[in-house]
Amino acid sequence: VRRDVQAVLLVLVGGAVLRLSLSGSYTNYVKQSMGIWLDLAGAALVALGAWTAVRAFREHRAAAAEGETAETAEPAADDDGHGHGLTRAAWLLLLPVVAIFVVAPPALGAFSANRTPVVVPQPPPQALPPLVGDPVQIGVVDYAMRAVWDNGTSLRGRDVEMVGFVTHGPNGAWYLTKLQISCCAADAQPYKVKVLGDFGPYSDNAWVVVRGHWVPGGGTQRDDAIPWVQATSVRAVAQPANPYE
Amino acid sequence: VTEQQQAPSTDQVEPPVLEAARRLPFGALEILVVLLVVLLLAQRWVTAAFDGHPALQSFATIFIAICVQALPFLVLGVVLSAAIGAFVPPAFWAKAVPDNAALAVPVAACAGVVLPGCECASVPVAGGLVARGVKPAAALAFLLSAPAINPVVLVATSVAFPGRPSMVLARFLASLATAVVVGWIWARFGRGSWMRPPRRPPTEGLTPYEAFRTTMAHDFLQSGGFLVIGGLTAAALNVVVPRTWLSDVAGHPFWSVLFLAGLAVVLAICSEADAFVAASLTTFTPTAQLAFMVVGPTVDLKLVAMQAGTFGRTFASRFAPLTFVVAVLSASLVGWWLL
Repeated sequence: VRRDVQAVLLVLVGGAVLRLSLSGSYTNYVKQSMGIWLDLAGAALVALGAWTAVRAFREHRAAAAEGETAETAEPAADDDGHGHGLTRAAWLLLLPVVAIFVVAPPALGAFSANRTPVVVPQPPPQALPPLVGDPVQIGVVDYAMRAVWDNGTSLRGRDVEMVGFVTHGPNGAWYLTKLQISCCAADAQPYKVKVLGDFGPYSDNAWVVVRGHWVPGGGTQRDDAIPWVQATSVRAVAQPANPYE
Repeated sequence: VTEQQQAPSTDQVEPPVLEAARRLPFGALEILVVLLVVLLLAQRWVTAAFDGHPALQSFATIFIAICVQALPFLVLGVVLSAAIGAFVPPAFWAKAVPDNAALAVPVAACAGVVLPGCECASVPVAGGLVARGVKPAAALAFLLSAPAINPVVLVATSVAFPGRPSMVLARFLASLATAVVVGWIWARFGRGSWMRPPRRPPTEGLTPYEAFRTTMAHDFLQSGGFLVIGGLTAAALNVVVPRTWLSDVAGHPFWSVLFLAGLAVVLAICSEADAFVAASLTTFTPTAQLAFMVVGPTVDLKLVAMQAGTFGRTFASRFAPLTFVVAVLSASLVGWWLL
């Protein structure tokens, strides 16, 4: 790959990363805490690309001025030596660039949540501090852990409010769902809470706020349990800035 | 640009772009620009093609996720590897790494503690070490140990497995043992011809800064391209293979280990986060969870693709299966002992 093309590829990849991090849409793909690292990596790549472009331009001009031949003007340094083939892999970096700028796929939703079995891991006791607020703003993951492993004790009698997206189960049931990521969207793990009450219908992937209270049901003390919530109100909202937990 | 597309010139003074233009009728840069313009114009159709196909959208999301997550670590890796090449004199490595392979391997494996990154960072660094004359077996031991036993990964593991320090110790020991054993096997039985010396742009006669720039650009584009191959494969498998049959093998002592080891290869999760995923696989035996964390940082789809890019396909086709077997055995033994 020639030096000028190298420069363009570097700027494109760095630019795509910066676009994700500066627009905030990177949270559709990776954890929120990655933002600063994406800023740095994107800026480093753009800088490297710019540096490479300046070198390419200067050498080009120097070569033209001194009347050197092509071979000496463009040292084999950055050249793939025509047909070794390996550095041609660099072209593949266009794929994520195109995916980011052109396709811009949304955060994972109902499709992924329904393909991965629900696992509610048992939390250590210190991970369940007393709830504050009325209504309690609680995450779907936190709610599921308290309902399943704490038998709902800390939720009893509390008014709760949870944000998530809608997925559907058998017999017309629908779930308030959230995906948890440890690293990036490749390891997304679904958490679901079955919503009781006459609300809806909502379509898959619709983001909603459910207000209600805990009711027993769905099972406890096993990690494939899907707890219940009795809804008193449900309203549609926009997707939150960070769609994962 | 227009003059480059004219018929080959007989002029002796020929800018490099023109030289390329003669070979191809048009230059790579022009292809790139045309391609991007076409894509921008076609954006509506491309987006429409993905809309309404949740599988395709999930594939694209996971593909971007894997690439974007790996990118900062890859940048860190190529900065280090370029700095090794440009600013550290070769004599340093001759002194730092013992001559004797039997000794050099464990020394290099323990040195992995200092690179706080994931596997994407360690491939270019290992390539840079080999290019600087460090024994391949030692560089490979470093390649295997660095993403698994650095402090960041160990702390993440202890957070993911609260109240179970034995898991952290088991991970450290099993990963270190894997790196050392694979390094020794490679030192004893590996043939030099299997490993293509990392292709480096010649940097003689360049200033250190220019050598740094050249190497960094080259390494990033090279490793990045192969990272994309790995990301594509892992994303495709992630979407195609449902995880619902995970629970069927969970209880079996033998199959559960092998199954989670295989899952680690397929999922290609960053080593700094794989402990959280392992911890969520609660239905599996602790030894199987350990195998997931020992195999993941040493063999996974994106890593194998990057190894093939750096050291050649002949190398990767031998090194990856060897590492997989050693890692599974090591995790099983340490798990049986400690967990």
